[in-house]
Order: sequence, then structure tokens, then C-alpha cells
Amino acid sequence: MRSLANTLRLTGKELRAIRGDFVMVALIIYVFTVATYIVADAVSTEIRNLAVAVIDEDQSILSHRLTDAIQPPLFNPPVLLSPAEAEKALIKGKYVLVVALPPNLEHDLRENKSPTISILADATAVAHAGNGATYMQQLITTEISRFVSPEGTRSALVNVVFRNLFNPNLTSKWFSAVMQLMNSITIITLILSGASLIREREHGTIEHVLVMPVRPHEIVLSKILANGIVILIAATISLELVVRWLLGVPVAGSTLLFVAGTAIYIVAVASMGLLLSTFTHNMGQFGLLIIPVMIVMILLSGGMTPLESMPMWLQVLMKTVSPSPHFVSFAQSVLYRGCGLPLVAGQLVAMAGMSAVALAIALGRFRKVLSA
Amino acid sequence: MALVAQLDGVSHRYGAVTALDGVSVGIPAGCMAGLIGPDGVGKSTLLALVSGVRKLQAGRITVLDQDISTAAARRINAPRVAYMPQGLGRNLYPTLSVRENLEFFGRLFGQPAEERAARIEMLLAATGLSPFPDRPAGKLSGGMKQKLSLCSALIHDPDLLILDEPTTGVDPLSRRQFWELIASIRQRMTGMSVLVATAYMEEAEGFDWLAAMDGGRVLAQGSPADLRRQAGADTLEDAFIRLLPEEVRAGHQPVVMRPRQSVDGAAPAIEARNLTMRFDDFTAVDNVSFEIPEGEIFGFLGSNGCGKTTTMKMLTGLLVPTEGETRLFGEPLLNSDMQSRMRIGYMSQAFSLYSELTVRQNLLLHAQLYAVPTERRAARVQAMLDDFELGPVADAMPESLPLGIRQRLQLAAATIHEPRILILDEPTSGVDPVARDAFWRKLVSLSRDQGVTIFISTHFMNEAARCDRISLMHAGRVLAVGTPEELAAARGNGNLEQAFVAYLEDVEKPQEATETAATSFEAAGRSPSRLSGTLSRLWAYSWRESLELVRDPIRLFFAFLGPVILLITIGFGISFDVDKLTFAVLDQDQSPESRRLVEQFSSIRQFETGPDLADMADMSRRMGQGSLTLAMEIPDGFGRKLRQGDQPEVGLWIDGAMPFRADTARGYALGLLQNFSTTFAEEEGQTVPSGVAIETRFQFNQAFKSANAMVPSVIMLILALIPGVMSAVGVVREKETGTIANFRSTPVGRTEFLLGKQLPYIALATINFWMLFFMGIGLFGVPFTGSLATLAAISVLYVTATTGFGQFISSFTRTQVAAVFSVAVITIIPTVNFSGLIVPVSSMGKGAQIVGLAFPGAWYQPVSVGTFAKGLGWPDLRLNAVVLAIFGLVYLVASVAALRKQEA
Repeated sequence: MRSLANTLRLTGKELRAIRGDFVMVALIIYVFTVATYIVADAVSTEIRNLAVAVIDEDQSILSHRLTDAIQPPLFNPPVLLSPAEAEKALIKGKYVLVVALPPNLEHDLRENKSPTISILADATAVAHAGNGATYMQQLITTEISRFVSPEGTRSALVNVVFRNLFNPNLTSKWFSAVMQLMNSITIITLILSGASLIREREHGTIEHVLVMPVRPHEIVLSKILANGIVILIAATISLELVVRWLLGVPVAGSTLLFVAGTAIYIVAVASMGLLLSTFTHNMGQFGLLIIPVMIVMILLSGGMTPLESMPMWLQVLMKTVSPSPHFVSFAQSVLYRGCGLPLVAGQLVAMAGMSAVALAIALGRFRKVLSA
Repeated sequence: MALVAQLDGVSHRYGAVTALDGVSVGIPAGCMAGLIGPDGVGKSTLLALVSGVRKLQAGRITVLDQDISTAAARRINAPRVAYMPQGLGRNLYPTLSVRENLEFFGRLFGQPAEERAARIEMLLAATGLSPFPDRPAGKLSGGMKQKLSLCSALIHDPDLLILDEPTTGVDPLSRRQFWELIASIRQRMTGMSVLVATAYMEEAEGFDWLAAMDGGRVLAQGSPADLRRQAGADTLEDAFIRLLPEEVRAGHQPVVMRPRQSVDGAAPAIEARNLTMRFDDFTAVDNVSFEIPEGEIFGFLGSNGCGKTTTMKMLTGLLVPTEGETRLFGEPLLNSDMQSRMRIGYMSQAFSLYSELTVRQNLLLHAQLYAVPTERRAARVQAMLDDFELGPVADAMPESLPLGIRQRLQLAAATIHEPRILILDEPTSGVDPVARDAFWRKLVSLSRDQGVTIFISTHFMNEAARCDRISLMHAGRVLAVGTPEELAAARGNGNLEQAFVAYLEDVEKPQEATETAATSFEAAGRSPSRLSGTLSRLWAYSWRESLELVRDPIRLFFAFLGPVILLITIGFGISFDVDKLTFAVLDQDQSPESRRLVEQFSSIRQFETGPDLADMADMSRRMGQGSLTLAMEIPDGFGRKLRQGDQPEVGLWIDGAMPFRADTARGYALGLLQNFSTTFAEEEGQTVPSGVAIETRFQFNQAFKSANAMVPSVIMLILALIPGVMSAVGVVREKETGTIANFRSTPVGRTEFLLGKQLPYIALATINFWMLFFMGIGLFGVPFTGSLATLAAISVLYVTATTGFGQFISSFTRTQVAAVFSVAVITIIPTVNFSGLIVPVSSMGKGAQIVGLAFPGAWYQPVSVGTFAKGLGWPDLRLNAVVLAIFGLVYLVASVAALRKQEA
């Protein structure tokens, strides 16, 4: 009872501290609004406005039709190049795709001689070359069948109906918006929780509190509680305002469940932030330590590229030490696929377990740190 | 009388706070001149202005006959003035040894190696530091740090030596030795003027000329005897109080000590039994024992770092002693014992209440945490506000209050729960004499009226004399315990300070300041060329920065393991190779044709076939869990329709939660269906309608492996981030630790300073480059096809630019954390998003392209990817090299422009 009351009092104090720190407040607002919006809109693996060049050695009606068919939104209007120019341009990385239309293309097609169109893809643009080439291939195939049989009689043996569940048009914004929200939560929680402990150590206030009848776990819990509340509110507002309203991303599942899961994730990350801060003496050192940690936690969460593409050992490692893969998978299940509690319970338990372990170690190191 | 410095109407403000208020004073040359007064009256500001470290705001200052408002005049003065800032060893580099510190300063003044060595020998001998030239400065005692600081100030034979509170926090013996040292040096260098600020009035008695300062003004000046005569007082301390303006000393009453009512037979309030505290191999407190009866004021004296604070922390339960125990009122103190904490009030050395709470809120929080009952809480807070005269400032923030009031607030907070024991760690350090006396009157009343036991540490002898008993601590041991009178009588002929020096001399071997040292060093009429001076100073910073870096494990970890961790995680982690897509089928047809289609899908390695789907609900569930990426539904009658040419329908469901993966899965599926159709048609003898073969050739990365393209791009990212952050920390660290004062007070130029500090980081980043290069080849198996020499050369240009960017940021940020996060955020956003790491630059909008090209990353990415994957060499990449070199230059020029040689 005493313990709870103390924790709540210290939480109130922490909240005042956050309110008084204008830089932090500005950072929180910036990250959860502007940054989430910009990044969600900017980085995209979607095939959009791909830079394309065409080598037209045929100069026939067909080749002109093919060239004209390459259009936005998928591709930029193509540039016509000679073979030599094309080679140079590819080396300079000016185009991701170069379509080579061979001489006599139309003639050979009519003669049924099966001519070959090559698509040269700059494979150093790994995120776009493969899918871009597929789209280009499809576009050319369609265009050619239309050319051969304008009436649109049967073009293929099988009629394929694609249905993309959860994101019908594969809009990458839907995906990146939510992932960026997760990144924001990770970054702010790590910095805020770690900084709150280091600031107290730098100012000597932590010793002062420990002389009072206050136990270390009350201090630690109050920090997690105060920072967690602030970040959870900011994240919920960001989800509703930026992700749902501004970016227009539909949310399939229960917002309440998502907020609950986010709360657990924040506790887990805040515990890690506190733990990391016990290994450093000042904010400068903390900054150096936290940057690689943040990058690894974010990039290897499965929120950037699919987790299953990573080597097995890395997947296992990340799922053991970082709560972020669990949160990404939880967020995808709830927000896109509309899953209920039973399906995501495992991830919630995993995150809760991690925060318990991190907290236990942080508390164990607490006194040791003070004496140094 | 000749003047070494002349101030005319000098005023200085920090925001709304006035530090100096129209000061006009002439400081006499060739003697010991002192500024006296408590903290915060403007002494330090005045010294910093005279030394040229701080920028003059208003008024005129002439130092050594130069009007120092111009940079040219300051350049002439820099080699003639030495400045030692406030704080123990504040201008020293703690990880550098004694000799290395002095070598650094010698190089800053362009001294050749032999001259430097000779000067260092002489100074070490004169200060008694000769026995430990290799000890790191951070491990020296307070007194030794100050001697070393003095050595570094004297290394270039200055004409004016400026010392800002050089003996604050130093034990009496070291203090005495310090002044003897100054005296002997002045005998040797007769022309040298010394200007000292001090808060110790006893010290100031020995000076030739004094200016008493308060509230940014000079109250009085003249010899100590003059000042005493002006004020009509016996001691300087009294004189100072009398010189204060009427309103300041209005509330001043002398402290009257009353005898203590001793309680016989009761258990002592505090009992320390053989307390020992060891940190690793260092013994901070060594077998300390004492007993303090209830109601006594027990004084604790000793230099900074002698173990006073550690002992106090053990008495409060903050630290658990390695050996020994503490008893309070006869009961052992346990860490987990919340009850005993209710009996203790503690005040730590620095202000440690919450600066984000007002005075009233701080008191209320203390009342709450000390479980003062709710109904009494408000009354108790009000009582403390009244008792400690804090009423008028109840709603002010502590930071806006003068030190004296803040210390009263701390005492109020420490006594709000009516503790029986008060533990006060240097509560009056830096507080002005009037406030100090007010504080002591409060202590007397707590002890004598309420019987509170007070354990207090102090540096002031007149405060020590007021204690019932005192103990002297040195190097972790208690040297003597007794009443002030006893100790003074036993060893000091009635003088307490004398007694302490005597006790200290018992344990410290007296140092022989070797007589040979007294031979003055003759500078060998040197006039080094400008270039060699520049190189010497530049090298001084490079050499020192490297030494510091090598001795800092956290920065080394970041510099060497950071890139490795990042390349491994990103290289393996960010992969656009989409494989292991989980695939399942709902085959409602079960014909040979449908089975062939399924086989077709199961045959490629990218698809991992899972158990067949039972129905559509099963599919929804599995896809909802995320355990299924691609599902195919083959409706009844598929085979029949296919044979009849009726174009049967096939349904493909893709998990769109991750668009890139979905897109790729769709591409694979399309290819497989195409394949299926073609082979089926051929077997059936039909002609394929579309006669064009489309072949996709992946250039530069035939295997289309993610790592082949990602690793070179990630090298670009890492070489921007890590070296940038490292060099940013380099400059800001000096601002935080205070060693930036050396840059400000010595002849080193801005370009010399910046380039000198940048070189080690360029070298480090070049090592990083080779590490990453070999990891890319060896660990990731990325083929390298281009010109290695070109890549290596341009990489050096690139890291010059990225470290330059870090320095640019750090030239105007104030804290390490701001520098680290600014560099990280500013670097990461454009390099990740607009430099071709994921989205090719060619496919970005114009705006994004321009943003990307405004940072070095977008110019280096084509170099690293080009030489790795495209077989490029120098002719193809010349332009990039030139642009990167320009980036480096621009950042350097910008940093020079942004870095201020003087503080505002």
C-alpha cells in the first residue's frame, strides 16, 4: 500500500519533469506527428515512377505502342536511348530498367519467329529491380496480346483472380505508417526512460530519494509508469490522427487491443532503456550506446523486411533479446488482419516476459551503479 | 603603481542575470592581487574576461597594455597570459598522465622537444610531482591536481597568471604548499603578476592587493590592512561582512554557540564501527570508527576525495560498507530498514532536490515520501516555509534562487519529517558569509533546542571551530578526533588550521622542492616559423585526442564494434530476397491437371508448401495468424474446363500486410502460371498465342542477391553515422568537461583545433572502412569487381566529409547528448531515405533527389556500389571524388565559422 502510494507520488513528479522538459516534449510531438507522416509517405518499396529507358531498334508500330504503354504511375515516361548510351546510363545508375526492343520485332512476331525482348534490370536496386521487371514483363505481354488479337479473344489458358487480403491494392503506405509508428515508440521510449534515470544520477537526486523511505523498485516503476503513460497517449493520438485520419489507413482490428499491446511493448522497451542506462555514466555515453541498439531493434524487427528472410540464427536471436519482432507481428495481426486476443496472446506474453527479465536485471544493478 | 589590467565600466549579463555591473578597477602589476567574495558575485566572470576567454559585452579592458576587444590584441596576449579555471583539475585531461598533460600544453605553445622536456622536469621537481609522472591526472588527489594545473599554466612563462579559486576543496596542507609554490615561483619570475579569486578570507590575508566583490560590484580595494581599516574590523571575514551594503547584512547576526545538554547513559546516536569501503582496487574509506552522542554537532574535515562523502553515504544506508557496521541509537543500520531512514535527514553536497518542482512542491513531495500523516502535511510544509524563511519564494523554481536560499531549502526538506539525525555534506560550500551564519544559527537551534544530532562536513575553519567535536580525515582514514580546542592546543599552538597541517604532515612525507629547480629556465631565444607553430599545435590536439580515445572503453566500443554490429545485422537482416513464402492449396478439383498445377507451385524453392487447406475459413484463419502468405484455390471442374479450353478460374489469395512481400509473391505466382500454361499448351499441341519471349537479365548482380547490393550501400550508411557521431562527441566533450578553456586561453587557432581533432577520427574511420570492406568480401561473399585503389581513396574523402559534418554540428551544440542525437537524426534520415539505400535515386522525385544530393551519402553510394558491383574505376567516379572533397572543405569552413574562440 505504502509502496503503491510512493510509486504514484513519484510518477506525478516524473510527469512534471517531462512537462518541464520542452526539448523532450517537442521531440515527442515531432516524432509522433511529422516524422511518422513523412517517413510513411516517403520510403516505399512500391513500384512507383520507376526510371525506365527503351532501346527501340525496331521503329515499328508495335515498338511505338509498347513504348507508349510504359506510363506512370508504375513507370516514369521512358527515355529513348541507343544501345551504347543505355549501357553507360545503366552503369551510372540513371535507370532501373532498360527495355531492349530488337530489330524486326513486329515482323518476326507476325512471321511467328518468336523474337526476344530483353529487360535489363539494374540489380543493385534490389528492392525495385525484381518486382519492376515482373510488372514490365506483364505490361509487355498484355500489350502484345492486344496487338496480336485486338478483339481480346482468349489470351491465356487460365484466368487468375488475385485477391490481396488485408491490403487490396498493396499500398505500401498502409504498412510503413504503422511500422513507423512502432519505430517512433521504440526510439522515444528508449531515450525517455534511459534519460530519466541518467538525469537523476547526474543531478544527484536519485541518492537523495534513496535516503528516504523509498525502495528502488518504486523509483523504477514510477519512471516506467510516467513515461509509459505519456508515450501511450501520444501513440494512440498518432494512430488515430496521423495514421487513420491523415494517411487514411484503415484499421481492421480492435483499437483497444492494440493500445493494450502497445502498453506492454512500451513497458518492455522502457525496462530495456533503464537497463541500458545502468551501464553508462552520462547522457553522452548513453547516446553512443543507444544508437546501435535502436537501429538493430528497428531494422531487424520484421517491420522493414520480412523476418523470415533473415538467417534462422538471427531470427531466433532477435526474438529472444528484442521485443520488437513480437510487437511487429502483434501489430500486423491486430491492425491489418483484425485478429482477436487469443491469436496474439503468445506475443503479448513474450513481451511481458522480456520486460520482467530486463527489470529484474536493472533493479539488481541499481545499487551497484549508485556506488560507482 | 603599474597596472597589469585596467577595467573601465565593464558590465556582463547572462540572460536576465547581471554578473558584473559597471566595474572599473585597476589591477596592480608584479604582485599578488586577489578578488574576494562568495560564489556568484562575478569574480569568475571578471577573471574570464581579463584572460580573454569570455567575450566582452560592455566596457573596456586593457591587459598587458593591449585593448583586448580585438582578436589581434588577444592573439598577442595569448602566449603571455595563463588561465587556470575554477574546479579541481578542470583544465586537465583525466585519462592522460601527468607528463602527457604537460607535454600537451608545451606543444600548444610550440616548444621544441628538448625545451619541453627540460621545462617539464623543472616544473615537476618544483611542485613535488616528480615521483609520479605516469599517473593519470584523474587519479591524483585534489591538491596534486591543482599543482599539475598550475604547472600547465606556468609551462610558457606567462607574464600574467590568472587563478580562479585554485584552493577550493583542497586540504589545508596542500593549500599551504600551493601558496608556498606560488611564492617561490614569483621569486624566480619577478616580473610575473598573479591575479587570484578566492572564497577563503584567511588566504587573502597574505595577498598584496585585494578587491572585495559583491553583487557584480567592487565594494572596496586596497591591501588587506587597508580593507580591515576601512571596515574597522579585526579579521577580513568580519571586514567583508561590514563592507556589504546595508540591506544585505541587515539580517546578519553573529552565531552564538550554546553548551550542549548531555544525556548520560543513552546509546550513542551514531556509532561507526570499523567502516571500510572498497571500490574495485581502490579503498575509499579505511577502517573508520567513531561514536557521536545524541544532540552533538560533529564536524568532519578533509580534502575533496578523502572519503568524507563515502563515509556519510554509509551512515545513511546509501552504500553498504565492504566491512564494518553502522549503529543508530544502538541498532544496526540495514539497507532494507525503512524505519531507520525515518530518523535520518540527509543533505548531499550538490543541490539535489528536483529542479522541475517548485519550493513548495519539493517540500510536499518530501512530506509525502516520509509519510507525514495527511492531516498534518500541509501544516508541516507551512511550518518549514516559515521556519526557514522560504515563504516569499514558495512558488519559485529552485534554480532561480541564490545558492544560500537553495541550501536553506535543502535543509528544510531534510528536516521536514523531524529526524533525530542530520547528515550534512558540505552544506555551506560556496555560500556567502551572511547566509552561512544564518544557516548555522538554524543548526544551533536544531541541535540545542530539539536535540538533533548533526553530522556535518565543511572546509571552513571557523565553522569547524563551532562544532562540539571534529574529526580530521585524510586518504580514507581518520587522523584525529576531539574538540576543536583540544586539537588546536595539542598540535597547533591554539590555531586549528596549524593543527591540521601538523596532523597531515605526520602522514604525508614532506616534499622536498628540489633546490636545483630554482634555476630559472631560459627560453633559447626562439622564434619558430608560423608554419611549425601551427603544425605543433595541430599535432598537440591530434595526439591528445588519440590518447584519450584509446583510453575510453565506451567510445572505443562504439567506434569498433558499432560498425561490425551494424553491418552484420543490417547485411543479414535487411534482405529483399523473398523466399520461404508459406504456401497452401485448396484443391476442390483433385484432377490430374490441378495436381500438376500444385506441383508446379511446390517445385520452386521460394515456396514452402504447408498442409492443404480444409476450407476457406481455414485459409482466413491461417492467413490471419500470419502463418500463410499465399493460398491457391482451384475450383471444381478446373481440369475439365482447361481441357475444353474454357479458361478456368484460379483464385490466389495473398497476405497483403507486407506489400513488398506480397508483390514479389504475386510475381512468382504469375511466372509459375505462365510456365504451367506454356508447357500445358505445348503438350496438348496447341500454339501459344503470344509469340514473344521476354527475358529479364539482372545486370551487375546476376544472382540477384540482396547482400551484393545492400552491403556496399550499408557501408555508405555506417561510414556516415559512426564517424560523424564520434567526431561530434570529440568537440562537445571538451565543452562539457571544461577543457575547452585550454582552446580559448592558448594561442591555438580554430582551424588548428578542429583539424587536429578531426585527423584521429579520419584515421579511425579509414580503419572502419577496411574492416567493413573485408567483412563484405569475406563474411557476405560480395564480389568486388572495380578498382580498389579508387574506392579506398574516395572513402577517405568521404569520411573526411562525414567527420567534418560531425564537427560542424558539435561546433554549436552544447551537450554531448544533443550532438549525438542531432548527428544521428540528421544523418540517418537523408542517408536511409534519399541516398539510394532502398529507393534508387533515379526513381525519386526532384525534391527528394535534391535533398539526397545535399549530403555526402548520395555521392558516395554510387562509388561503393559502382566499385563493388559494376566494375567501375577512377575515370567513372572522378566527379564524385571532387564533390566529396568539396563537402569536406565546406564543413571545415562552416565549423571554423561556427566555433567561437571566446565564450559568450
